[in-house]
Amino acid sequence: MESLITAAARALEAGDPLGALNRVALRNDAPSLALRGIAMAQLGDLAKAKVLLRNAARAFGPREAVARARCVVAEAEIALVSRDLSWPVKTLAAARATLEKHGDLANAAHAGHIEARRLLLLGRADEAERTLAEIGTSPLLPASQVVRELVIAGIAIRRLRTKDARAALDRAARAARQAKIPALSAEVDSANLVLDTPTARLIARGSEHPLLLGEVEKLATSAALVVDTFHHSVRKQDVVVSLGTRPVLFALARILAQAWPADVSREALIAGPFQAKNADESHRARLRVEIGRLRTQLKPLADISATKQGFVLAPRKTRDVLVLARPVEEKHADVLALLSDGEPWSSSALALALGTSARTVQRSLEELARSNKVQSFGQGRARRWMTPPVPGFPTGLLLPGPILKT
Amino acid sequence: MKRSAAEIVREYGPFEGVKAVHGVSYDGTHVWFASGDKLNAVDPASGEIARSIDVAAHAGTAFDGRHLFQIAEDRIQKIDAATGKVLTSIPAPGGGGDSGLAWAEGSLWVGQYRERKIHQIDPATGKVLRTIESNRFVTGVTWVDGELWHGTWEGDDSDVRRIDPDTGRVLEQLDLPAGTMVSGLESDGGDRLFCGGGDRGNVRAVRRPRRTAPR
Repeated sequence: MESLITAAARALEAGDPLGALNRVALRNDAPSLALRGIAMAQLGDLAKAKVLLRNAARAFGPREAVARARCVVAEAEIALVSRDLSWPVKTLAAARATLEKHGDLANAAHAGHIEARRLLLLGRADEAERTLAEIGTSPLLPASQVVRELVIAGIAIRRLRTKDARAALDRAARAARQAKIPALSAEVDSANLVLDTPTARLIARGSEHPLLLGEVEKLATSAALVVDTFHHSVRKQDVVVSLGTRPVLFALARILAQAWPADVSREALIAGPFQAKNADESHRARLRVEIGRLRTQLKPLADISATKQGFVLAPRKTRDVLVLARPVEEKHADVLALLSDGEPWSSSALALALGTSARTVQRSLEELARSNKVQSFGQGRARRWMTPPVPGFPTGLLLPGPILKT
Repeated sequence: MKRSAAEIVREYGPFEGVKAVHGVSYDGTHVWFASGDKLNAVDPASGEIARSIDVAAHAGTAFDGRHLFQIAEDRIQKIDAATGKVLTSIPAPGGGGDSGLAWAEGSLWVGQYRERKIHQIDPATGKVLRTIESNRFVTGVTWVDGELWHGTWEGDDSDVRRIDPDTGRVLEQLDLPAGTMVSGLESDGGDRLFCGGGDRGNVRAVRRPRRTAPR
């Protein structure tokens, strides 16, 4: 390999992107473009990095398949980090196949991890797991090992398997120390934080206390009736009634569960979900209809009985009713609640689920995005929204390390 | 043009802590190779690293009998092989696009990788005396018995080839197995050609075929 390219690549590897740029800033040959792209990515100019890497891929000759494939992988990672999930997945798969075919297993694994991270970001945990399994058993570089374990942890957290998540994060921490990349260690630490910070609030019989993820996990096997504001569902063990698309019914269920074993007055039931200050006869009529609908939905789990002043929840075959809520309930909580299922939502789907206008949802989303509580990817009609993902993939860039070795 | 598969007679390394081999030379006793921030001397009998010099070593390496020449960034440094001290440096003809380096007949021969060229330069000033065109990316360069050999790497193929120093015409070509890179080349003066293995971090000895007729 060429002298200055070697020097610049070594500077990049040593975490000195400016040193790398100094050496190749004025050169426009393919390896220099690729190096400049990676340096710009590390410096945070992702837009410029993307253009440089694309130009590099084009500038490499038709016979330099491996070098091209590495550029594609680097560009895919930039796309992932900038949440441009519309990036052509097939191109990445082809690059991965090329790298595998030519024995560049380290970068092939890197490409596979990018695929898995993308799938996890989209909430497709099963597919992410399958992709990880394909990466094979050849020993990974420590940095790659960290990413792999973070994805495994992310999948486990999605599935509420705290023990698996913790084990994966321990392995990730060890690999990060070996890799000696501070950003990766920080990534693992922040992922660990998720397991040690209350992720939910439990409300039962008028009192509440914070819950760790592991405790949330235990609720899945508890005999209590759980009103889950994360998934907008009412459940007991394996019986789940999903009210994700019925926000009014869910709101009623929640108010009833929170008051249980006491009843709730008609006025309170109307003031909450209907957001009406003064209940009139039409509201009362609507309440009767909605309670009827909720009764039908909850049939396998509970009944709703009328009392003198309102309604009371009557759970079947359990002595406990719990409400699982977000640690802090805030403005736009309804939007957040839907988004926290980890799936990407279009604003029109959210509007539909919440029974509000697309414009209202749009305003909520924009406000939430400004405080980094939600994020979007895609443009126009393809735009999707989701909450910041569970830890599972580094937000920073790793980029194919030995991109320019040969 | 004679074309055959390269016969790899021995592999040295990979060596611990060596991520890539960027240049190769031979001082009559040891095989030297450049590994980024070091020049390493390998005992060809034991295959062990006998000695290392801490010096920037990004591409080709050469030996003139007393000094090592080493490409670092866009310069060629002249190093006292005994003490490891950098004595002087001259600009590299490719301005940093340089790859292979050889010493022969009072000149340095420098491969310019993507330009597919080999420059003959004055080792005192760096002045280009003449330029030979190849049709492949040039990785390593060496002279032996009046033969000019260079290593190539392009696409997924690497070979070592003997070219006509006047016309650049390929006279003989030894193909390495697919995916095997040649990142530096040096003859031992006999029938072995030492080839750097790029990011495999090793050095291979390839048999130089006996010529059937003098050039």
